[in-house]
Amino acid sequence: MKHFFAFSGVGLALLIPTPSAADDAVIGYIKTITDQTTIVESGNPVKASLGSPVHAGNVIKTDENGATGLTLKDNTVLSIGPNTELKIEAYQFEPQQDKLQLNASLLKGTLHYISGVIAKLRPEAVTVKTPTGVIAVRGTRFLVKVEE
Amino acid sequence: MRMTTSKTLALAISLALSGCAKSYLVLLEDHDGSTGKVTFSGANSDTVIDQAGYGTALDNSKTVFKVEQQQINKDFGKALASEPAIPEIFLLYFETGGTQLTAESQALIPKIIETAGKHPAADIAVIGHTDTVGDAGKNEKLANERAVQVSRLFDPSKLDVKEIAVTSHGEKNLLIKTADEIAEPKNRRVEVTIR
Repeated sequence: MKHFFAFSGVGLALLIPTPSAADDAVIGYIKTITDQTTIVESGNPVKASLGSPVHAGNVIKTDENGATGLTLKDNTVLSIGPNTELKIEAYQFEPQQDKLQLNASLLKGTLHYISGVIAKLRPEAVTVKTPTGVIAVRGTRFLVKVEE
Repeated sequence: MRMTTSKTLALAISLALSGCAKSYLVLLEDHDGSTGKVTFSGANSDTVIDQAGYGTALDNSKTVFKVEQQQINKDFGKALASEPAIPEIFLLYFETGGTQLTAESQALIPKIIETAGKHPAADIAVIGHTDTVGDAGKNEKLANERAVQVSRLFDPSKLDVKEIAVTSHGEKNLLIKTADEIAEPKNRRVEVTIR
């Protein structure tokens, strides 16, 4: 059973569009932080602190004592607990150009999600992927835990 | 992935004792008191949850179960405690044709600055708008002047501000839809979002 799920997770991952490497726009900031949290950008981990900018493609990682919260440009609010890896796969918030997208992946750990403007304007543009499936939201707040 | 019967049994018991699966999600009530909906799509099934305090395992079981507050605190206490300040939005209105705030909006300013002070590493968006009186090009400029003026309220030497983004929507983004050349006080506004 486990093998089957792992395989389907890979299948789903292929559906997520790869963010362009040239897109260096700030999509949000670290707003709360305790202990060790790193932001991994293009494979390079950098220690995060209050006010660190977040870009599409970044992975936010916490250690066993870590926890952090971030607010994105569309007012989506995300916070994660210890031993967590959250990747922002793709993000677009340009309502005037009709560009709306938020795809995140919780690779492991715990996530608290509060939806923002993108989920209100276009709910189908928001997904949170986990190793075993995809979470879709309809203007809401939820918690998700992924245990390895 | 073969399991002996005793191992399977032990796993079943531990799942029952913990009250829920190892990987799961739980829907919460929004801060405004409403409850939305969340769907988990697994390998070959969809599970919809529309009741706060209920959750589902991230597998194909499709079971929906109640998650006790104690369990939520145990699993998500640190994630919940790290929630950033919720973004706040203010609307400031202007007298016709210029950058003079209405008296009521002027009175709101101390509250806006106080709010910015409560948002560590604040990220502020200021969007200027006009009504449809006058030329669209001039209104684009006027809306920008209104937004720039409001943005100056935030003093980076006194506040922990990471970014102040100023944008003009001119007369293109009306709050109250009107025909051209209509004076509408609710459209002469600046929207301030404090994240």
